[in-house]
Amino acid sequence: MSAIDPNNNNKEKKKIIIDTDPGIDDTMAIFVALRSPEVEVIGLTTIFGNVYTTLATRNALHLLENAGRTDIPVAEGSHVTITAIQLDPAFAKNVGQIVVLGGAFFVNGNVNPAAEANIFGDPDAADIVFTSGADVLAVGINVTHQVILTDADRAVLASSNGKFAQYLCKVLEVYFSYHRDSYSMGGVYLHDPTALLAAVNPSLVTYTEGVVRVQTSGISRGLTILYNKQKRFGEVTEWSDKPTVKVAVTVDAPAVIKTVMERLMES
Amino acid sequence: MNCNGVAADGENGGVLASHAQPEKLIIDTDPGIDDSMAIFMAFQNPGLEVLGLTTIFGNVTTEDATRNALLLCEIARRPDVPVAKGSPEPLKGGEPRIADFIHGSDGLGNLFLPSPKSKKSEKSAAEFLVDKVSEYPGEVSILALGPLTNIALAIKRDSSFAKKLKRLVILGGAFFALGNVNPAAEANIYGDPEAADIVFTSGANIDVVGINITTQVMFTDADLLDLRQSNGKHTKILCDMCKFYRDWHVKSDGVYGIFLHDPVSFVALVRPDLFTFKKGVVRVETQGICIGHTLMDQGLKKWNSSNPWSDYPPVSVACTVNVDEVVSYIKNILLTP
Repeated sequence: MSAIDPNNNNKEKKKIIIDTDPGIDDTMAIFVALRSPEVEVIGLTTIFGNVYTTLATRNALHLLENAGRTDIPVAEGSHVTITAIQLDPAFAKNVGQIVVLGGAFFVNGNVNPAAEANIFGDPDAADIVFTSGADVLAVGINVTHQVILTDADRAVLASSNGKFAQYLCKVLEVYFSYHRDSYSMGGVYLHDPTALLAAVNPSLVTYTEGVVRVQTSGISRGLTILYNKQKRFGEVTEWSDKPTVKVAVTVDAPAVIKTVMERLMES
Repeated sequence: MNCNGVAADGENGGVLASHAQPEKLIIDTDPGIDDSMAIFMAFQNPGLEVLGLTTIFGNVTTEDATRNALLLCEIARRPDVPVAKGSPEPLKGGEPRIADFIHGSDGLGNLFLPSPKSKKSEKSAAEFLVDKVSEYPGEVSILALGPLTNIALAIKRDSSFAKKLKRLVILGGAFFALGNVNPAAEANIYGDPEAADIVFTSGANIDVVGINITTQVMFTDADLLDLRQSNGKHTKILCDMCKFYRDWHVKSDGVYGIFLHDPVSFVALVRPDLFTFKKGVVRVETQGICIGHTLMDQGLKKWNSSNPWSDYPPVSVACTVNVDEVVSYIKNILLTP
């Protein structure tokens, strides 16, 4: 997830904070962010998910060292957004935009048929964020599953002498073998880089607007249900009178892959 | 719904596939305006032997559903067909949700027809279902048009019920689509989520038709006018009923016409070739804000640990429908004098 500072204008770079659980595709997203002239990364905050929080923090520090960017602060969190919203009621309004990588809209999840991993990790927090009134863009796996880095792309990365490309190729095999086993595919989904680039360049995605609620109990804990107001309901529902968020519905996948590759191969 | 992956084949065949014995059918129903259409269609079909109707709450209370079922049998000149009254409430108890704002307070578009002369069966719906299915093991199909309480009670009553059933066609759920009670849930499943979860995981030969399919199939105002001006066997009374139903569609969905939920499910029973199905495990959420949500594992991912969908028998979920063919099939039957 990334949060964008509102105090930017077109002349200035967008300031972003990346809330992350690095993570292989997180690592890729952080590298791409550091190479994106449109944005200034003003901090990383860490969260459990792919790895435990303490390890996530260590990984984040390690990444920044490798990138030669030890100037960027890393803050260890429980869940920074929820804490931020609870610590400061004005946070939701003061933050520019929160881009959330999470949810599975009208498709199966990836932890189980109901839930996507990031939302499953803390459904209560996710429900608070989605209904907070902040300017939220959710990028779910219904979108990120369209963005696939192939074996051939990996070979191109491996043959470049970009520092970040080289670093990533060392860790990518684990991620490729996971996708082979679970999805029988010869490529990997670029979840985090897609969400990051949606934050950097919103024109890479199209979105719909609606109310998103998260199921916090039962067998479908972590299920994200979007109500885009196409239909009217006779009764008041749990989706009535809640603030809306943006939910990505399409992505320019070739442009995302191209941008990711280019920025990783710059040395 | 995305239909990539292994599609279920038409293994069920149509019940009209052979010219031999008529196929035995029980309709579990909450009539209901579109239920009435489906019931008349079943009676008009020479390939079917309707063993009985079992009633359930939903569009109306179980009490009114029973009265309406008896009435419909009389109107169709089939007063011999048994009507067995079902459970007045969902498995977990409490007041059932009744959609009288859609079907009118009498369930039949506020026509307030005179009371039926015939009497309901002595048996409860669950008893009736178990007895008939045991009498003709492997021969009886059920078309379930309302909440699944009676079917779940039959499964609980007789552990071999699910296996002895020939086929169960269910109208219910919203698969990878918005519900109609709220964004998460469709009305029939929402009416008794516990029962639905029992039925979907029972191992019966199940075809389920969700509102993601049925809301693609409608009669427009022009279709309704064709019916009204025809001399179809039951078109006069159906058109009278449909007025109330049609006006609700305008208010709720901005649709000038009516969705054919129940008739479409009937077509899935007799003409499954007009649909494509995909097999997967379906579970129903029974708590929280998404109570009544139907969730199918599409089988696109191999899970690395067990989850609430693991190790349950799959069901066939309708994922596409040949809209034009289904509309004309329904219309042709209803236009038949």
